[in-house]
Amino acid sequence: MELTRLDRNVRILNWAAAIAIFIDLAVIFFYAPTEKTMGNVQRIFYFHVGAAWVGAVAFFVALVAGIIYLRKPGRKWDTLAVASVEIGLVFLTMATVAGSVWGKPAWNAWWTWSPRLTLITIAWLTYAAYFMLRGAIEDAEKRGRFSAVYVIVAFVTIIMSYLSVRVLRDVHPVVVGDTAESAKGAAEGLQDFSGVDSMRMVISLNVSVVAFSILYAAWMANRIRLQHLMDETNSLKMRVAARLQGDHA
Amino acid sequence: MIELRGLVKNYGLHAVLRGVNLHVKKGEFVTLVGTNGAGKTTLMRIVATLLKPTSGDVLIGGWPLPGHADQVRQHIGLVSHQALLYGDLTAGENLQFFARLYQLDHQTDRVEKALKEVGLAARKRDPVSTFSRGMIQRLTIARATLHEPDILLLDEPYTGLDQDAAHLLDSLLEREMDKGRTILMITHDLIHGWNLSHRSVILNRGKIVREVNRGEASPAEFLDIYAENTGRRAAARVGG
Amino acid sequence: MSKQLTEKKSIFSVLGRSPYAAAVWAIVWKDLQIERHTKQTLSVMIMFSLSTVVMFNFALETNLDAARNVATGLLWATILLAGTLGLNRSLAIEQENRTVDAILMAPVSRSAIYIGKVLSVTLFSIVLEVALVFIFIMFFNKPLWRPQVLLILVLGTIGYISAGVLITSMTIQTRTREVLLPVLLLPLSLPLILPAAMAVASYMFPQTPTWGEVQSPILLVIIYDLLMITTGVMSYHYVVES
Repeated sequence: MELTRLDRNVRILNWAAAIAIFIDLAVIFFYAPTEKTMGNVQRIFYFHVGAAWVGAVAFFVALVAGIIYLRKPGRKWDTLAVASVEIGLVFLTMATVAGSVWGKPAWNAWWTWSPRLTLITIAWLTYAAYFMLRGAIEDAEKRGRFSAVYVIVAFVTIIMSYLSVRVLRDVHPVVVGDTAESAKGAAEGLQDFSGVDSMRMVISLNVSVVAFSILYAAWMANRIRLQHLMDETNSLKMRVAARLQGDHA
Repeated sequence: MIELRGLVKNYGLHAVLRGVNLHVKKGEFVTLVGTNGAGKTTLMRIVATLLKPTSGDVLIGGWPLPGHADQVRQHIGLVSHQALLYGDLTAGENLQFFARLYQLDHQTDRVEKALKEVGLAARKRDPVSTFSRGMIQRLTIARATLHEPDILLLDEPYTGLDQDAAHLLDSLLEREMDKGRTILMITHDLIHGWNLSHRSVILNRGKIVREVNRGEASPAEFLDIYAENTGRRAAARVGG
Repeated sequence: MSKQLTEKKSIFSVLGRSPYAAAVWAIVWKDLQIERHTKQTLSVMIMFSLSTVVMFNFALETNLDAARNVATGLLWATILLAGTLGLNRSLAIEQENRTVDAILMAPVSRSAIYIGKVLSVTLFSIVLEVALVFIFIMFFNKPLWRPQVLLILVLGTIGYISAGVLITSMTIQTRTREVLLPVLLLPLSLPLILPAAMAVASYMFPQTPTWGEVQSPILLVIIYDLLMITTGVMSYHYVVES
């Protein structure tokens, strides 16, 4: 039975995620340098980047699951896509809230309609609409098929966001990019560190990204297990209903 | 012409077709009967390449489905209780569109000839939305046979037709039979189907439970066989 | 296939020799014939756009200066909303008498059906856009009547309708049918409209901008178009076949 194996993996991942986040928090608060202009508020930046990173990974995983589902339909790929989009949305929301808190002292506003922030909102809406589509289809086969197509189309918005922020002028710092871009990004983001501190910051950032990735894996495992349990319950319900109707076939 | 072996179609956990075996020879007219939800329309849509089977072999004119759908599509025409015509287009334009879609040769001549055959030549320039149910059904047959398919699929073609229109449809179907087309028809009208076709096939709960050739029984006997095999009486008792 | 069109000679009879192009043209021809008879899609789209423009003016309290600054945004917003009407109408036609089944039973590539639908709705949208450009020039006194602006409008429309036909073909098959389309399509099309609106806005000044000033947004629009058409062509059969 697959569930027992899954159960064990879920338990291992839960512990791993708890430990990783604990270490990450320790690193953020006790190892990472205090930024000169913004002070301690800047520490939320590690959380923000970690969450945003996982959001992008989650949507990419959903895209891959969608493509595989269309090639070779199977319940597990649909489940993987749903789980990933759901968790991606949560991380995207976390990244936005954290970014907003950081943006208040940096830009003196919780929110600005800069291209990148607009595109993040768009990505959020796009993936939230995924659940509207799923909710409107009863037939499981059709739901899986349409959702897979949609999740592929939706990824176009992610690609476009990535391209747009590189091409259009923006106030948001570029973190993922070449050194010149990152340096410019750090300057724009009002992050002022000396040489040693800058290295510590990079290390903290990487710890955050790894910790959040482990958290993502753990949530995925939990979500997939939950889906398995729901499917199991449904099939039992169907069998009971069939029995009651006198269909013994 | 049509060969189904162990055909299974599931919708999620629900099995609609549970291992159907059917063989329809070239030039044969077979009627498919059964209660609602027996899987008749699902079977028809699979043969019409509109639905993919879950498992089992489907061979149409020797071509396997769903792998060779495009080859099969050249050889089938479907008449359903839905018109499959554009109400906003004229009769001529409707046929013209399908001639273009099938990329037939001599399109204009074909359209003229097809309209004449179903007795609608005079209405060529009228929009289909002004047609009576019987006229629409005749045009539907013209559309379904425009590309001269070997196989004609009929899904409840008599729905909504009055007596005269039904008689006209009868004679049209007889002509299609004379042309050597293989016909598979779904109908609720057991006796009517029995009288038209060579063989009646009873589908019940996703399985073929009985096949009866016309020579083997009288219409009344067939009704008895149908009742026996669909368990209609039993269902009435349990459900009552 | 030795095929000779006995009808009117046109450039399409040349294109018609390729079976793929013939299937695409069959779909477009059919949609144009329906529109010729009913004139429904275009009239609905244009009437809706007119009401929208008037409503916008009302919301901006006829403050022409304010209206002028947001004119390009309003133009795109109007096109998007009117576009959903056109898309829903175009695909609802195929559901009415299940003609979609008849089309799917024809031995033609599913992507040809997709391209045909994209072309016909794009044609309707372009007609609408030309009308809108006149209306906007009248109401907002903006130099929209520039070939570059029209080109950007057409480029943006292609991407929008490419995404739209794919999404509408799905939503029309769901329980909520027409209602679901804007919720899915508008967010999907915003990454296209953002650079497209920026590009149009650069042309709202008396002096024509250089290519260097507009190239990035226009390239973004083209990339979106290519991504969406590719996605549509590759995945359309998953949407219409079950």
